[in-house]
Amino acid sequence: MSDSQTVSVTINGHVYTADCDPRLTLADFIRHKCGLTGTHLGCEHGVCGACTIMVDGRTARACLMLAVQVDGSTITTVEGLASGNELNPLQEAFWDNHGLQCGFCTSGMLMCATELLEENPDPSAEEVREGISGNLCRCTGYDSIVKSVLAAAEKMRS
Amino acid sequence: MTVIGERIPRSDGQSKVSGEAIYGVDYAEPGMIWGALLRSPVSSGRITRLDTTAAMAMPGVHAVLTAADAPDAYAGWVLRDQRLFAVDRVHFEGQPIAAVAADTLAQARAAAAAIDLEIEPLPAVVDLDHALSPDAPLVHPDWESFVPTAGPDFPRGGNLAAESISDPPGVDEAFARAHRVISDEFVAQRQYQAYIEPKSAVGIFRDGRYTIHTAHQFPYNVRDRVSQFLNVRPSAVRVVGHTIGGGFGAKLDASLEPYAALLSRAVRGLAVKLVNTRTEDLITCPSREGAITRLRSAVDAEGNIIARELEVIADNGAYSGEMPWLASIALHCARGVYRAGPTRVVARLVYTNTTPTGAFRGVNGTYLYHAVERHMDHIAAELGVDRLEYRLRHLFTDGEELLNGQVLDDAGILRQGFEAIEAAAPWAELQAEKRPYRGIGIGAAWWLTNPSAGTAVVKMHEDGTVAVVTAATDNGSGAVSMGVTQVVAERLGIPPADVHIALPDTDVAGFDGGSQGSRTTRIVGKASQIAADEVVEKLKNVAAGLLEAAAEDLEVAEGTVRVKGVPGKSMTLAEVAVTAMNTVGPIQGTGSFVTPFPDFNPGCATGLMLPSFPTPTYHVHLAEVEVDPVTGNVRVLRYLVAQEVGRVISPDGTYGQVMGAVTQGIGYALHESLRIGEDGRYRERTLESYRLPLAGDVPRVEFFPLEHPDPDGPFGAKGVGEGPVLLPAAVIANAVSDAIGKPFNQIPITPEEVLAAIQS
Repeated sequence: MSDSQTVSVTINGHVYTADCDPRLTLADFIRHKCGLTGTHLGCEHGVCGACTIMVDGRTARACLMLAVQVDGSTITTVEGLASGNELNPLQEAFWDNHGLQCGFCTSGMLMCATELLEENPDPSAEEVREGISGNLCRCTGYDSIVKSVLAAAEKMRS
Repeated sequence: MTVIGERIPRSDGQSKVSGEAIYGVDYAEPGMIWGALLRSPVSSGRITRLDTTAAMAMPGVHAVLTAADAPDAYAGWVLRDQRLFAVDRVHFEGQPIAAVAADTLAQARAAAAAIDLEIEPLPAVVDLDHALSPDAPLVHPDWESFVPTAGPDFPRGGNLAAESISDPPGVDEAFARAHRVISDEFVAQRQYQAYIEPKSAVGIFRDGRYTIHTAHQFPYNVRDRVSQFLNVRPSAVRVVGHTIGGGFGAKLDASLEPYAALLSRAVRGLAVKLVNTRTEDLITCPSREGAITRLRSAVDAEGNIIARELEVIADNGAYSGEMPWLASIALHCARGVYRAGPTRVVARLVYTNTTPTGAFRGVNGTYLYHAVERHMDHIAAELGVDRLEYRLRHLFTDGEELLNGQVLDDAGILRQGFEAIEAAAPWAELQAEKRPYRGIGIGAAWWLTNPSAGTAVVKMHEDGTVAVVTAATDNGSGAVSMGVTQVVAERLGIPPADVHIALPDTDVAGFDGGSQGSRTTRIVGKASQIAADEVVEKLKNVAAGLLEAAAEDLEVAEGTVRVKGVPGKSMTLAEVAVTAMNTVGPIQGTGSFVTPFPDFNPGCATGLMLPSFPTPTYHVHLAEVEVDPVTGNVRVLRYLVAQEVGRVISPDGTYGQVMGAVTQGIGYALHESLRIGEDGRYRERTLESYRLPLAGDVPRVEFFPLEHPDPDGPFGAKGVGEGPVLLPAAVIANAVSDAIGKPFNQIPITPEEVLAAIQS
């Protein structure tokens, strides 16, 4: 067995420190060591995007990283989007515009859209479609997700 | 003020956008340990060695179980043909052979891999036609010993898992006098439901009973299956449901649940959790069955179809699940929605050494309508008649009597569907504007709303809000989080936010037929409406004395019980509910509902297990596509749906179902290739190679709801969710065939096939 390593990382403003197997994925670290189950695992090989998080301000697939890679990093997961119990405009827009059904892809969609709107605060519908095309949703057919992101963008610009 | 037909925020929205929702795969128990399964690496073979000694000695291992540790029982939804673990023989790749419980998931998986297993491979039965030939090996040589789960046995034998045949008089005579006979063969691949949450289960053996936590569409079915596998009575199993990360039919039967239960018993009641890897999930999922459909139509000199033959051979996989029930759907779809004279229908379901198939939204209908609607295009082309004109000429009308004797009183709605599509996309204009490599397809369908029973208790809290206790599940559709919620809110005159619907628990809520066949809003909505009506009556009776009015002069509205027409004479629901505590006791109501099967002729067919289609709905779809002649890619430019919906309860939910189902249909038509090799194993094994539709692959669906409120449904509601998946393969295949000028009779239509057709 390999020796465990100590990983310390700031997630949603809290510092989490845990000993972990060097092979532990970041997704499993977040879900099991930190108890943040909002980051969902759909495929465990970087295809579905459900586990998308922010690592030092950039989106990443938590299933494709190891926990030891993020020692000292700052991470945002879906649980970090709201301020207390107040949802942020993207979360509100997904809820208001039926941008989710089962909701399992939603965490990853929200994180992906967060980065999208940071880079392009006024995207066209086509740009949103392109932007979320790396995330799989099996329920909605994507249209309501596009609508949600556009609604959030509008609200965030005003 | 009404909430029916209004947009409301779904009750699970906050938890889903905040990451707080606990899905089945997130669920954990104190002291929980982990399980893993050893699955067969081959699709057919004989187990020659199975030694768990080394695995048992691995770190952290608590138990290793094989068939020797499981009850000697057979289980199955329709036919009891399946054991918990393979015994001697393996019948499909992925079939469980052993189960391990260990402290961590990694330890459990390592121990499963350390089990000493040797299998002598045997020939696999894969090809559907060959499976029925006399020289094919039998998938189950002991098929005669299998017992139906309920009721009498049904037509089956050898590799024939089920058969339904309808052979009315006059078919051969009509073919003999036909002006021409048009024949086609259609092939459809399997389709993986590909919900984003993989399957999981937590099992607990405590107080001599099994408790199972799972994210499941049909908790009561899990209860029944676990009780069969573990050979205990159903009430010895309690199933608790959690938020479901998609299902689409694949989470209607038990999967990991009985293994979690048995492992927990073996480790003296510690909770044991199993979770599929994505590849395990894909290769063992009860996917939509592959099928071969052969159609022959006899046409007279005027172009009328005077007789038809439909033969469908569908892939059951190695075990039957729900599939025998569904074989008779071919009878209901054989003519589509067009008059076609006497029709002989032969539906055969065959055992193969492949993963058992099962329910996927629009069961059987997707490939049957693909076949029928492609065939209609072919007939019209042979006759030199416009495809739309030909359909309209033969379209069902009010009072149409079907092959099973069922009468469709309202089939004239179909014409309204065609008119709605015509208004938005005039056929003549589409034809006139056609450019090279563009094509148009049109088709129509009818479908059922699943009639299975449901029940609900509506209980009034002392603060004027209500809880609804039901085993209904919201698979994401919003049928519970919006539909049933709205029905109850409307009936009680309270805001939807004051209606709280519990997650399912089979120890608490009565039987529910699960989220399948578009039934939840209609069946559970109706049961909840009946329960709410009882609450209304009790509220009035309690309030009557307080308001000094007769109960019949009272109404429950806007959060109050009030005297009709007398402003100011009212009490809040909370006041009435508190008063009731001292007079009649807590106020609650109960409702149950089931839709009876419409009348049919029982002599019309053998093997008629799904005899007629309750609560029919009608559907017309049109697609416009563009083919890239260089890459072979097909792009769907426009997609239109006109759908009869009874009454729209939730506009977001309704449109969400249509948009989502059409997207799954586009995937089925163009992208989702799930091939089976000659060895019986899937070629596609991950979500990387199994290609789901992406955001850029689907246009916004133009949707035209046709409302014809059903007097039996809650506020007129009928099923919505399944119908829109029936036709995309049909109309897209018609459109691609139109674009290229060559028939595409296989699903999916991959770029390789498009290029081959262009180049040939």
